[in-house]
Amino acid sequence: MGAEVLALAFERPPIDWHAVAPELVLLGFGALLTLIDIAALERGRALMSALASIGLLAAMVPILTLALDGADRAMFGGAYVIDDYALIMKAIFVLAGYVVVLLSVNYVAEGDYWENEYYQMLVSSILGMVLMASARDLVTIFVALELLSIPAYLMATWRKRDLASNEAGLKYYLMGVFASAVLLYGMSLLYGVTGSTMLSDIAGGVAAGAAPPAVVTLGVIFVVVGFGFKVSAFPFHTWAPDTYEGAPTPVTAFLSVASKAAGFVALLSLVFVGFWNRTDVYQPVLWVLAAASMFGGNLMALRQKNLVRLLAYSGVAQAGYMLAPLAVAGTSAAVADRALAAVVTYLAIYAAMNLGAFAVIIAVARRTASAHIDSFRGLFRYGPALAVAMTVFLMALAGIPPLGGWFAKFEIVLALISASTVAGTALGVIVAVNSVIALYYYARIASYMWVEDPPEGADTSPISTPLAVTAALVITGGATLVFGILPQWVGRFTEVSLLAAAG
Amino acid sequence: MSEFLRTYLTVGIFGALGVVLVGAFLGLGRLLRPSRPTPAKTENYESGVDPIGDGWSQANIRYYVFALLFVMFDVEAVFIFPWATRLEAYGMFGLVEMAIFIFILLLGLLYAWRKGMLRWV
Repeated sequence: MGAEVLALAFERPPIDWHAVAPELVLLGFGALLTLIDIAALERGRALMSALASIGLLAAMVPILTLALDGADRAMFGGAYVIDDYALIMKAIFVLAGYVVVLLSVNYVAEGDYWENEYYQMLVSSILGMVLMASARDLVTIFVALELLSIPAYLMATWRKRDLASNEAGLKYYLMGVFASAVLLYGMSLLYGVTGSTMLSDIAGGVAAGAAPPAVVTLGVIFVVVGFGFKVSAFPFHTWAPDTYEGAPTPVTAFLSVASKAAGFVALLSLVFVGFWNRTDVYQPVLWVLAAASMFGGNLMALRQKNLVRLLAYSGVAQAGYMLAPLAVAGTSAAVADRALAAVVTYLAIYAAMNLGAFAVIIAVARRTASAHIDSFRGLFRYGPALAVAMTVFLMALAGIPPLGGWFAKFEIVLALISASTVAGTALGVIVAVNSVIALYYYARIASYMWVEDPPEGADTSPISTPLAVTAALVITGGATLVFGILPQWVGRFTEVSLLAAAG
Repeated sequence: MSEFLRTYLTVGIFGALGVVLVGAFLGLGRLLRPSRPTPAKTENYESGVDPIGDGWSQANIRYYVFALLFVMFDVEAVFIFPWATRLEAYGMFGLVEMAIFIFILLLGLLYAWRKGMLRWV
């Protein structure tokens, strides 16, 4: 057998350089940052954040030219696909990364941090996410997952001399590795029954009657659970509050938006391409996960005294909203397209509003050095612009029209109702009930900022916000408003479909 | 039981056999050997030298960096050996690919060297 393998002639795999240009730009800038660090050591510090943001914006150029070109491209026998869905997700990752750089500039430069390595880690993590958006093969998905996770584990511990930050990184690392192991086991079962790592082949291999149902069920459940950790769905969310609280706040913003979106991007590819024929297996699992995440996240968020922890639990609930349409996706092709578009819309809007909320927390914490809810009391007196911005982001997260979050939730509920099944309608009702629960804790923070007096002895001279954080606030605030007032703008980009690939 | 699961039966039998064999040998040895413990005999074995200190002693963190660098080049070798046997077939393409691969790993080594990780102070 060995002789046969050796006798095979080698054929150079065709590489579409245009299609991998975003990844190559990010890889190039990552290597450039490392080389500057090697050559100039600490003298390179001043360049790093600027170069990282230029690299991220430069990666947007090939994404835009690929989008204008419009043709779907596939490489390596379909393991790596560039379609509208991959491109919109890549754009979300790269732009979210850019906002995170803006949030990090002052935070990392002013603290006792390793600055050169920070931006190297950030760029490699975003490279992994951009890869994940195109991955349509189990091995590629796993490599992308590790590439985006390992730098993120390190970034969570970036406040090296702070025990809370060490705990954050360690918990994230241990739970992440555990999730990877679960995921790999599921993948090995799927490969075992289908004989292929390609998602489009798995779709046929797991179809009813083609494989032992017990093994397929286990494989699908393990894979979904593995990504359940990544998107912090209840009951796999336990790492999130401690990690979010202990990690440096810009890193928390990055984890809660980009890392979560990366988990969803893989889950979407798997559900819409790989597991497409096994609605009977994945739909009940995702239904339970979605409902549990919404209730669990929102009910625990009610009791939080720390704003970052509160946003961690609210992130669990938001993951539940995004999982909900997947639980009815298999009803029909029309519902599936609608569900995918709803989740992608939600991810785009969620990125804007959540990054914005963290931007305000970073700006306020520069004064109060705390994310405790009490430190937001009376914010309107001394930081009126920040209080207005925070109210906009919180109300958007709660889903109040005319802000972005409203349209996102509307799409989700529409997708759920369009399935016209009992399960879908029930989830729609659960989404509505949870939006009301969530409004309570979002509105409570708003009332703290607007109605109450600042705490005794607090410094109430006007807060000055660094330029980079202001820029981040303008970008995310603008996006939150535009998405809500002109939803057709974002709707045009998120009308994507994966079903053609499922074939 | 399906054909697929039956093939896994081999794994089960193999595992069970392993447990039984180890148990049998240890049990047999226990039955046959005399037991006359002395303090010197019950001491932990440490390469024939008298053991010093606790088994849970702290290892120097510097070993960790060297272990990481070792793993890096170990993995590199795993990819380079099979590549080298087929280099003629891969041609220029293979050469450039491997150069890129080694460059990325080399960045790591350069980084470690420049940050003073290779010095044993």
